[in-house]
Amino acid sequence: MIVELISIPAIILLLGAFALPLIPERLRSSSFIIFPAIALAVLWTLPEGSHIQAPFASYELHLLTVDALSRIFGTIFALITIIGGIYAFHIKDLGQQSAALAYAGGALGVTFAGDYFSLFIFWEIMAISSTYLIWARRTETTDKAGMRYLLAHIVGGGFLLTGILLHLNSGGSFLIDALPQDYTLANVLILLGVALNTAVPPLHAWLADAYPKATITGAVFMCALTTKSAVYIMIRLFPGWEILIWTGVIMAIYGTIYALLSDDIRAILSYSIISQIGYMVTAIGIGSELAINGATAHAFNHIIYKSLLFMAAGAVIHATGKSRLSELGGFAKKMPLIVGLYMVGAFSIAGAPLLNGFISKTMITGAANAAHLEMVILLLLIATIGTFLHTGLKLPYFTWFGEDKEEIQVSDIPKNMLAAMVMGAFLCVSLGLFPNLLYSNLPYAIDFTPFSVYNFVEMTQILLLTFVGFWLFRNKFNISPSTTIDTDWFYRKPANLVFTVFVKFPALIFDIAEKKVASAVDRVADVSKNPLNYMLPTSPKSPVYTDGFTSPLHLALGLILLSFLIVSLIVLL
Amino acid sequence: MKKWHWIALGVIAAITLVLEFTLLADYDSHWWNSVPAFYMLWGFIGSVAVIFISRWLGKLFILSDEDYYDR
Repeated sequence: MIVELISIPAIILLLGAFALPLIPERLRSSSFIIFPAIALAVLWTLPEGSHIQAPFASYELHLLTVDALSRIFGTIFALITIIGGIYAFHIKDLGQQSAALAYAGGALGVTFAGDYFSLFIFWEIMAISSTYLIWARRTETTDKAGMRYLLAHIVGGGFLLTGILLHLNSGGSFLIDALPQDYTLANVLILLGVALNTAVPPLHAWLADAYPKATITGAVFMCALTTKSAVYIMIRLFPGWEILIWTGVIMAIYGTIYALLSDDIRAILSYSIISQIGYMVTAIGIGSELAINGATAHAFNHIIYKSLLFMAAGAVIHATGKSRLSELGGFAKKMPLIVGLYMVGAFSIAGAPLLNGFISKTMITGAANAAHLEMVILLLLIATIGTFLHTGLKLPYFTWFGEDKEEIQVSDIPKNMLAAMVMGAFLCVSLGLFPNLLYSNLPYAIDFTPFSVYNFVEMTQILLLTFVGFWLFRNKFNISPSTTIDTDWFYRKPANLVFTVFVKFPALIFDIAEKKVASAVDRVADVSKNPLNYMLPTSPKSPVYTDGFTSPLHLALGLILLSFLIVSLIVLL
Repeated sequence: MKKWHWIALGVIAAITLVLEFTLLADYDSHWWNSVPAFYMLWGFIGSVAVIFISRWLGKLFILSDEDYYDR
């Protein structure tokens, strides 16, 4: 049994997280990469089916259920952990390294969980371990942001667990399988729990709040794992739920608008995640084989180009110590390679032909077309335009080009960070040129080619004219230091009020009560010193000195003792 | 943006138009395909629309001071 457990990819990574502290520091970064590499090798040798069962109360846990869908998600999670490990190779923070491995272990556990309880356990491991990647910055702001992140995920986990328990209670299957499209309380709660991790508005604010505050390397893992493992579960549980079609469209536009307004480079990329996941959620809502393939392929590609973008943004922060567009600008010549690698990611996310975003976005559009959802297509195109505007144009323009704000000191980037970015860019290009590498591993075997003249004309025309629009109105973008008010307002702004009502006010009441009681006790003590004062108000108010009674008492007690001795002598003798 | 940048973009645009009017002359998968160079129009209108709508929403309620939550 123990040996069997080691064949679970998630357990390999969790063991790695516990083993890292025992490994000498100079070998730790290399070891970090070995664990996901082993997991990747193992998951490709596993045949399809449920391999390991363990009894749990009256249920049977399915810890390792493999099929084409879980394998492709497991592959990308392991792959990005390797790339993230290379990017973070120079980091000497054991806490961050262990947390990142445990976090990736959680994501792989969710991917291969065959039943709801295993899913829930790994879901929570992800929430807790990822929080440390925010706290590792060790500033007051990030401490608070990490706590908000954790609380949001505890609420989401609560929804999920309550939903699962209600689902089981009403005779639902213990094994993870597509749920019928009924809006029962159990289904709705499970959907809410999953939607929170998928960052569906209004449950999304944790993402844009926390990711820009995570460590440079931590954000790379975060942008890849939490939301995409939730997308995976959404594909498993809610394929074809029609509400998701329009939910996804709203997400895509919502994320775009906020990304266009944000000033922090990683906040722009965070909102862009929400926008991109909108595409996947729409595809899950459509639910056809092509759509599910599209959602899977888009999640796969998204992880690659989004982590590349986060890595490049991290490189900017590493080199300059700044993260706001208002403070950056005019140093493209000092880091040309980073700019180039970033632009590969940016064109990929925008869906430019011959890069990997194109091969999955066209699949989702194709699925929407087959389902005759023309408004959805047009609105998703608006999101594509917005994506190119904020990630492809606004961010690089104001970060590296634009006018110099001040003299910016650019320090060197570690070679390992560059290597990881080159790997990401290589994957973007190779998948874009050879889409069958990905298509042949998707859950459904279908015939689809993205390289049609129509798709090429469509995307090229859209991107060209979006650029023209940007160039004409490039001074209309917000690049001043600002906060974007989002749904986290509802739990951040009233925090003072809640603190006043539930902490300060009760504390005040207790304070008053304590003082009253203490003064009452004082008075009682005062009275008991000399009760005569109160019984005979005319007597002099002088304190009583007990010393005055000492000699008579000595005499009385001595007499009692003496008589006791005499009596006992008489009786005993 | 240098002059040759614009020329390069113009050439690519011309290629897409040629492709659209030759190879795709008889396609009609969507109602909007009857509009010539529709995706150019949509790209331009869309970009201008999202720039100004987001700017308006930003002024309306989204954008606030940097220290909004610390006050």
